[in-house]
Amino acid sequence: MSAPAISRRGALLGIAGALTGGPLLAFGDAGAFHPRLLGVGGEPLTGPRATAPSHWTFELVRRTNAPGNASSPIVRADEAALLAEPFVIWAGTREFPELSPSEIRGLRTFLTLGGMMVVDDLEPERGVFQRSVRRELGRILPEHPVVKLEPSHVLYHSYYLLDRPIGRVVGPPTIDAVRRGKNAQVLLLAHDLLGALARSRADDWALAVVPGGYGQRERAVRFAVNIAMYLLCSDYKDDLVHASWLMRRRARSRP
Amino acid sequence: MSARTWALSEDLTTAWVVVVVAVGVLSLAVLSWELGRLDRRRGWVAIIGMLATLTLGGAVLRPVSIETHGSVVGARVVVLVDGSRRLLLPLAGETSRRDAALEAVAALREHFDSARLTLLEFGDDRLEPFTAAAETGAARSPRMLDSDLVTAIRHLGDQSVERPQAIVVVSDGRLTRPGEDLEGEPLSTILGGLDVPIHTVAITHETPADSSILRVDTAGAVVAHQPFELRVEVACVGGLRCGTIPVRVRELRLGADPVELASGRAEPTSEPVEVALSIALERAGARVLEVALDPPHGDTISDNNRRYIAFDVARDRIRLLHVAGRPSYDARALRMWLKGDESVDLVAFFILRSDFDDTQADESELALIPFPVDELFTQHLPSFDAVILQDIDAVTSKLARHLSTLARYVETGGGLIMVGGPSAFSGGQYAGTELERVLPVTLPEARQYFDATDFVPRYSTAGRTTPILRALRDLLGDELPSLPGANLLGPARSQAMVLWEHPLLSAAKAPMPVLALGEAGDGRAIALAVDGTHRLGFGKLASDVGGRSYGAAWDGLLGWLMRDPRYEPARIRLAKPCIADEPMSLEVVSAPGMSGAVEVSVDQLGTAASDSRTVRAEGAKTGTVAVPIPPLGPGGYVARARVGASPPMRFEFACERAGGTFADVRPDVARLRRIAEATRGVAVGLDGVRGLPQPTNVRVAAERHVAPWLPAWIWSAAAATLLGLYWFARRRGGLT
Repeated sequence: MSAPAISRRGALLGIAGALTGGPLLAFGDAGAFHPRLLGVGGEPLTGPRATAPSHWTFELVRRTNAPGNASSPIVRADEAALLAEPFVIWAGTREFPELSPSEIRGLRTFLTLGGMMVVDDLEPERGVFQRSVRRELGRILPEHPVVKLEPSHVLYHSYYLLDRPIGRVVGPPTIDAVRRGKNAQVLLLAHDLLGALARSRADDWALAVVPGGYGQRERAVRFAVNIAMYLLCSDYKDDLVHASWLMRRRARSRP
Repeated sequence: MSARTWALSEDLTTAWVVVVVAVGVLSLAVLSWELGRLDRRRGWVAIIGMLATLTLGGAVLRPVSIETHGSVVGARVVVLVDGSRRLLLPLAGETSRRDAALEAVAALREHFDSARLTLLEFGDDRLEPFTAAAETGAARSPRMLDSDLVTAIRHLGDQSVERPQAIVVVSDGRLTRPGEDLEGEPLSTILGGLDVPIHTVAITHETPADSSILRVDTAGAVVAHQPFELRVEVACVGGLRCGTIPVRVRELRLGADPVELASGRAEPTSEPVEVALSIALERAGARVLEVALDPPHGDTISDNNRRYIAFDVARDRIRLLHVAGRPSYDARALRMWLKGDESVDLVAFFILRSDFDDTQADESELALIPFPVDELFTQHLPSFDAVILQDIDAVTSKLARHLSTLARYVETGGGLIMVGGPSAFSGGQYAGTELERVLPVTLPEARQYFDATDFVPRYSTAGRTTPILRALRDLLGDELPSLPGANLLGPARSQAMVLWEHPLLSAAKAPMPVLALGEAGDGRAIALAVDGTHRLGFGKLASDVGGRSYGAAWDGLLGWLMRDPRYEPARIRLAKPCIADEPMSLEVVSAPGMSGAVEVSVDQLGTAASDSRTVRAEGAKTGTVAVPIPPLGPGGYVARARVGASPPMRFEFACERAGGTFADVRPDVARLRRIAEATRGVAVGLDGVRGLPQPTNVRVAAERHVAPWLPAWIWSAAAATLLGLYWFARRRGGLT
């Protein structure tokens, strides 16, 4: 009997194909991790950060068994395509005006159906983008305020064991989120995660991490992988069968 | 025989008669008082006054003479013969208690030769005529399971016929009702409604040497996976030396030998003893247990050493094992739906890393645990109600070595859902394996495992009518979302049902199944050859119904897998308790909207080689079809019914030769005596029938003549004339 039709190599080749111009879709890709960009309020990703969503997929496929789709299309909040898949990234640097009622409606539908959104402030030092996003989240889901995720949240052990969020900048030690029920559906990052994943034309890291070092970059990539795994598995790693085992491993790894 | 009598007018009530007589007496009393005050005797006034009063009374009351001609007939006596199967118990020689009852009936016929005997059989919730055929012909065997004398007496009281002057009960006394503890006033209250003496004839005093299962019960509801106490009461009677009796409990499953669940030992003496056995049943729904004891030497009745009992095993929570070969939006959607259901106890394993993945980290930095495939599929598998295999490769996940175990798990009552994806079905290397055998579809071994073209599944005829997808169709109608390709499947198996089919692809000249389900041995399996059902909960189509379509679809699929009655196409029930080796029938009650021919097959449980009996019947518009089944031997059985093109459903039941009626073989002559005493009757044995009191004969009128003493006009004319004379005489006599 031949091997399964979609191998890791095939997936990586697919990503490579996507990176070089054309999507290479196959059976199973409809459920693959697909980092789409929300084209509203912010501005299109330019420069090396435009490569970040694809590289996020690349790292996920390289490091895990999860399938990925390396294309990163832009979807508008008021178009039906937003509802085609349950994941979208909302990234930006600047303050933006209020969203239109149809955009609010579209995002509300996306979230109430169970979609997940990562908000990445690409200039967290200024924080103006995230302030605008928070304002709009208040309009989209007024009954669900932004809260802090607890340090024991599954996001920190959905694949790698991590102790805090991190991106191009170290940023705050916790994540703010909008939760509906048990699920954190909107993650508000002030760490420029896409900046840490951006690649140059020479296929090297494009932007230096602050304060710096290989360790920070690797932890940022791992954090991105954990977010993807949380998206694909929800709170799987909080199941009882995993929880006791992970508790023991964390205890052993502490000095 | 003739008789003559008289009566007053029949058109006046007794009250009016009393009033008329009282007025007459009062008027005579007044007349007497008036005459007493006069200084002279006026006897003629008194005579005329009395005559006037009498004729006036006669005019009002109009007396008649009645002459009757008739005959004297024997009193009505009802003989109630115990119709319980318990009377099949043998007596000394080649006879049975039933033979003794027939002998008693013959003696009663002779003794009450001048009475009118009504012979009835009592037992269950009805009275049946005890016919001559029952005494001599093929219907010699009693068919009832109870001996309910209380209900029989009540039915007699409800009959609008002549009340009997005596009732004679022919039984061994081991009645279901009244209970053995009742006596005196309470017993009289229960049985004395007719105010008729109840005589009893005890057909035997003889207790056979016997060990038996007296009773089997549980402390409460039986819940799947939870240990419960099965209490078995064992008796040893008739002077049998029982010593220690082994007791064992086995579960009867389809296509497999019985599985021993527990065993114990009983040491009954002159009193019964109870053996408490702790057992756990892993599957919900109806389960048939065999409770048996090893009888000691000298045991004369074998049919009460073994009971077959159908238990309705409830489900506290559905315990599911969800194994996904890789994380994906589809796996996420299914997991989130399962986790959101409070009735589901979910154990999940997602394969997050393969041997080819480069984690760039030390093991200690990963939150990964090994997939305990051997432990899961050897030790814990029976504890799950169902297993969901989602897009997981059998070989790379090391599942392949457990596929035969998993197939046996399904065949012994477990549930299985295989969800599509690149590593499912043939793509997951399941083709040609043991597991393929239990899937509702065949798996092609071609090199191409899937078709990546987007398509919209199409409902099959069965899919449109089944209750499984009714909630989904209520939300979306015939519409379904476009799905991203499908696994390539072979045709559905003969007993499987296809609910969704591919609009373009075919398998064996039929549309390729996309969603199919079927029974496999004792269990059920579902094949879903797509990995995009999350689009039922997320997308433009889903947004129109608030994303509820995903839950509606999976509610139906999981509900059917777990035999939730809401998703069954029909209900099956026994028309009456199954008695071994006697004709029986099953009633198939179709769900609303289901119609078509009904096909029922019956298989014996607890045997590897089952002899399936299939019976077909025409569906009825009322929804209930009685399907006669040929006689079955003692044991556990499963009936599968299909209504038209709907998926099959099943019903487990037990057949026993005598059920609990043989449990206590001791006759209860004392109870018969108490019944007679409480109702002013006489208790006798077989040889004492001649001592029963004869009831008084009844006189029956055949002809009746009624004639007035005088015509009404003569009464009236005489009364008027005498009243006129009376008035005249009073005036002449000085009375005013």
